[in-house]
Amino acid sequence: MKNLLFTLFLLFFLFSVTAQNYDFGKVSEEELEEKFHPTDSSAAAAVLYRSVNLKYEYSQSTGFKLVTDVRERIKIYKKEGFNYATVSELLYLSDAGNEKESFRGLKAYTYNLQDGKIDESKLKSNETFTEEVSKYYEREKFTLPNVKEGSVIEFMYTIYSPFFYNIDEIVLQYDIPIKKQEISVEIPEYFAFNPNVKGYLNVFPKESKKSGKIMLSSKTRSGGSFNDAPKTTVNRSTIDYIINISEFAMQDVPALKEEPYVDNINNYRSAVNYELQYINFPEEPMKTYATTWEKVAKNIYDSPDFGSQIDNTRYFKDDLVQILANASTDVEKMNSIFYYVQKTMNWNNYYSKYTDQGVKKAFKEKTGNVADINLMLVAMLKEAGLKAFPVLVSTKNNGIPIFPTREGFNYVIASAEINNEIILLDATNKYAEPNVIPNRALNWFGRLIKEDGSSVSILLGAAAQSGEVNMIQATLSNNGAVKGAMRTIYNKYNAYNFRNSNNEISEDSYIEKLENKYNGMEISNYTLDHKNDLGEAITEKFEFYVENQADVIGDKIYFSPSLFKTEKLNPFKLDERNYPVDFGYAWEERLMVNVTIPDGYKIESMPEPIAINLPNNQGSFKYNLSKSDKEIKIMVNIDISTSMIQVQEYSALKEFYKLLVEKETEKVVLSKI
Amino acid sequence: MRFFISLTTLIFCQLLSSQNINYASILIDKSLKEDANAVVRHNEISIHINSIDELVVAKRRVVTVLNKQGDDYVNAREWYDDSEKITAIHAVIYDQLGNEINKIKQNDFKDVSAVSGGTMYSDSRVLYLEYTPVSYPYTVEFVVETKTKNTGFITPWQFLDGYYVSTEKSKYTISYASPDLKPIIKEKNLENSTIVKTNTENSISYEASNIKAIKYEELAPSFIEISPQIHPRMVNFNYEGFRGTINNWQEVGSWMYTNHIADKDELPLPTINLIKALTASASNDLEKAKIIYKYVQENTRYISVQVGVGGIQPISAIEVDRVKYGDCKGLTNYTKALLNEVGVTSYYAHVESGDTKVSFETDFPDLWAGDHVILAIPYENKLYWVDCTSQVHPFGFIGDFTDGRQVLLIKPEGGELATTPAYLNGDNYQKTEGKYSISDDNTVHGQVTILTKGIQYDNHFRIKDKTPDDIVKYYKSIWSYVNNLTIESYTFENDTDTIVFRENVSITADNYATKSGERLLFSPNFFNKNVFVPKRYRNRQFPLEIQRGYLDEDEISIELPLDYTLEAIPNAVDILSDFGTYTLSFKASEDKKSILYTRKLFIKEGKYPKESYESYRNFRKEVAQNDSSKIVLIKK
Repeated sequence: MKNLLFTLFLLFFLFSVTAQNYDFGKVSEEELEEKFHPTDSSAAAAVLYRSVNLKYEYSQSTGFKLVTDVRERIKIYKKEGFNYATVSELLYLSDAGNEKESFRGLKAYTYNLQDGKIDESKLKSNETFTEEVSKYYEREKFTLPNVKEGSVIEFMYTIYSPFFYNIDEIVLQYDIPIKKQEISVEIPEYFAFNPNVKGYLNVFPKESKKSGKIMLSSKTRSGGSFNDAPKTTVNRSTIDYIINISEFAMQDVPALKEEPYVDNINNYRSAVNYELQYINFPEEPMKTYATTWEKVAKNIYDSPDFGSQIDNTRYFKDDLVQILANASTDVEKMNSIFYYVQKTMNWNNYYSKYTDQGVKKAFKEKTGNVADINLMLVAMLKEAGLKAFPVLVSTKNNGIPIFPTREGFNYVIASAEINNEIILLDATNKYAEPNVIPNRALNWFGRLIKEDGSSVSILLGAAAQSGEVNMIQATLSNNGAVKGAMRTIYNKYNAYNFRNSNNEISEDSYIEKLENKYNGMEISNYTLDHKNDLGEAITEKFEFYVENQADVIGDKIYFSPSLFKTEKLNPFKLDERNYPVDFGYAWEERLMVNVTIPDGYKIESMPEPIAINLPNNQGSFKYNLSKSDKEIKIMVNIDISTSMIQVQEYSALKEFYKLLVEKETEKVVLSKI
Repeated sequence: MRFFISLTTLIFCQLLSSQNINYASILIDKSLKEDANAVVRHNEISIHINSIDELVVAKRRVVTVLNKQGDDYVNAREWYDDSEKITAIHAVIYDQLGNEINKIKQNDFKDVSAVSGGTMYSDSRVLYLEYTPVSYPYTVEFVVETKTKNTGFITPWQFLDGYYVSTEKSKYTISYASPDLKPIIKEKNLENSTIVKTNTENSISYEASNIKAIKYEELAPSFIEISPQIHPRMVNFNYEGFRGTINNWQEVGSWMYTNHIADKDELPLPTINLIKALTASASNDLEKAKIIYKYVQENTRYISVQVGVGGIQPISAIEVDRVKYGDCKGLTNYTKALLNEVGVTSYYAHVESGDTKVSFETDFPDLWAGDHVILAIPYENKLYWVDCTSQVHPFGFIGDFTDGRQVLLIKPEGGELATTPAYLNGDNYQKTEGKYSISDDNTVHGQVTILTKGIQYDNHFRIKDKTPDDIVKYYKSIWSYVNNLTIESYTFENDTDTIVFRENVSITADNYATKSGERLLFSPNFFNKNVFVPKRYRNRQFPLEIQRGYLDEDEISIELPLDYTLEAIPNAVDILSDFGTYTLSFKASEDKKSILYTRKLFIKEGKYPKESYESYRNFRKEVAQNDSSKIVLIKK
């Protein structure tokens, strides 16, 4: 018994020493004294405590309102962390401007340790700024006073939103570590939201329930709906309802850090989205939104800015006859329509799965957002008798669509099914081709929707392996310079990328770019074929003269037989990484070089052939060479057969490149006869 | 007077409505399309100074965009704020045949806040045209009229918009209601272009036609140094309710001091006591200044808020003291106020910042010259300069952000031009000293010390505040030519008195040397390979300009693997050129087990004729080649 008491006492004692007080204003000396983050010493700042409480409030005059209480306590370790002392919130205004989110109850303090005492500086009420960002947004901004290295800042505020059907994404991970955070979302039973957690942290909300009460004063005559304000008062009544609570209590959330070859780090940031599934007010019919992939797809399809846009065909009927004039097979029809829409329509740089002005107006004005253009494409393909469907996509900056949500998709492309093969089409880029869709839309999988609203998941970016073939015929001279001719063929995405970066600039500027890419190479007799023939590979040919391709030392000459196409550097320098390596698409690079050696020299030694593979057949590197008296022939083949390499295979990929670079930089040795 | 107003109204009406011009892009002269992504067809501004506090501006801009790159030159946008109102704005789009295809009214322009990066808040806003071209070429006609009470700042004019754009016609007219409102105009680079100037009794105008597009070239004078432009200014003016008269730099300073600086240096007593205590033991004023600069660096941060007169006037020292942040004006004034309390004089100074040096012009006293504020502290006949927005720079060191240029000191008795210290040639010094060994299994182990001064110090010393991840990334990027590099350890020493930075770094690298049968080849220059070769231009147009110059000295001892013996060493190199020198030498030890490698690269600042560009390029090619030269070892 004594022992137990002692243990209890000890436990209590330990607890009281280590427990932090997270009440507002109760910043401790320990927090102020801390010089660096205990587990991430590189952190410039850290969130010590964060809470977000989201709940609904009901008022008879205005109906439901979404209330979000935000509180954060942040430790600033270094100067680089000063920007965390500036806080901004974007507030939404409705179209007509009569409803808007409001920002209230801001309290903010900076705490510093001054001569062993805690000194607090308060943010004055006139030190917040409201920036009118645009017609739809305001930005509330403030920065804390008296911030130094070592400061702790703390602030709280509340956002009131009349847009009760929309809960903004709640981010669960910052660019700095979070020591402790408590997020709670309390939703009345009338609203069914589905919490979808994305990102690489494995977190799940804890669900619970409690009861709530609404006091109503109403007049029998009013007959107004539940969410409308009655005009006069006769009766008083209360409504009991259930509140569904989901909570995230998280400790030691690591900082999200940038890594190379990650298209958009926000793709991997942990966050939770509450997606509305239905609203079911008493005595009103239920309005459903989304629950499964099928429902999400159907829901989107049923929107007037989606499905009916595909059904609308009258506006292009006459044009379609002309477009199809010379097309007989399905493939020809698809190509004619795709290239027509691509050529005629101009993308206004807005993403959306819904049309903005509608396909008809877009067609007339020749501009539109993604949906205006690609849904028009679907409509035309269908009208031409093809099996064509829209495919919903989540772009790279929107994150990976893991859970069924409408917001999970923000983009739409078209597809056509010909000979049991699905071909993906996106006419928003002037150089896209069938099955070559812009990189922004190449994000894991999309959802193909049929007329009846049924849908299936399809992989993006796996459709066609892209490639580049280089052929070089070169003569090496005894001062290390090389003269010769080169031919390059660009296929699929390589052609797409080439056209996007070079078609809009003059040939002279491009050649200048090329000359500088190969360290001052001099290029002549340049020709380029199929530059504008979408669907065909591009062929580039030129003659060159370039110095410094070999080391002439004593009576020997050393050179890498891949010459200026040698992979000299391993692009993967980091020792480890947390996110997949995203190539975007599968690719292959082939190189063939014939080098004629200078007169008066013989081949003394040359590298050995090699073949290496990535695990699971995800890639291979083949290096072969042969020689005759005066000539060395080399064939190099790099093949990456997947668009994405997972984290587990990163070290294998790094090693693969290490061996590849070692092999390619190996030298042929020539000696004087 | 009344006559005058109605006359200008007439001019404006003409300007705003004269649309009966043929904008078919086929009519553009071929020479204007060369190297151009867009052609400014007609760019006209009419400025009318009605009185000291009323300025009306009408602009009409017609641009034909030839291709996608040219979209940025449409520039159908106008800034406004509480003082400057937009009174009319519209745009019309024409297709390549000159047919009108779209009309954009005021309400169709996007209206957004113009808070730019680095600024926390500003009351400035912008109306802009968002347009998706449906085909190229297309033409946009943009018409806007604004009115402001401020006459202190009048829009300057560039007759050429930038690189890769040509000008068919560009006209600038400034008219004034009475002779005392006549502005003074500074012309720049007008010599080489056909610009016609016309003066009347109440107006001045400039008209340029057919200016060809120019291509960007690296290591050339900046665009602003070569493009034809004019800068107007008023002798008598109003700015946000402050009237002024400026005939010389002295008066610029005195207007600034009296209206915006003089009463802004009050401080609360606790702060005064604190800094007096901090500086009590300092032996002289320079010591005091150093202590106070350090105090400011440790206790404040940069936050910019620009509202109304805040564009030119600092927030008061007492306000900065309370919140401990401010922009360049606020922080400089605060530092000045603190210095003042301990009896040290200092001067608030306007400067044009950026690594391109732009000097204030002696003969053109301009209130709006400069975009930044720094502080000068006179001590024993020398000025010491500090940038109060920097939390990291040592006292007296301003780096390449404000070095070597003429700036304006604002003293109680008025303004005075002064020149900031320049960092030239050998001042920008780097010494790389170290050793490395290559083992039999082809692994490099090395230690190096990199010492930097001057602008090279500026480029290096900030690494000390980076996170370990970023430090490793930094070394992997500067030594990116070394594969399989591991940064084993590093330490830094930052001597802020002598302004010298030292990095001590240990590294290893697997498979550094390249194998060829029995041989190993490696480049002895492991730590400071300079392979920069300026771009090749088939036809260089502009002179060569090297802004600052530098000197690198390297001394590295290399220990060779025991199983190998030396087969070949590159020859010593000694290159002397107009642009600098390069020397390289190798000395093998007597037992042939190690090599001492020394290298020196000196690049001289200067302006050279365009014909010299190719020889500079050849010099850098030789340097690059020699920096990559290799030693060959053969297995014993």
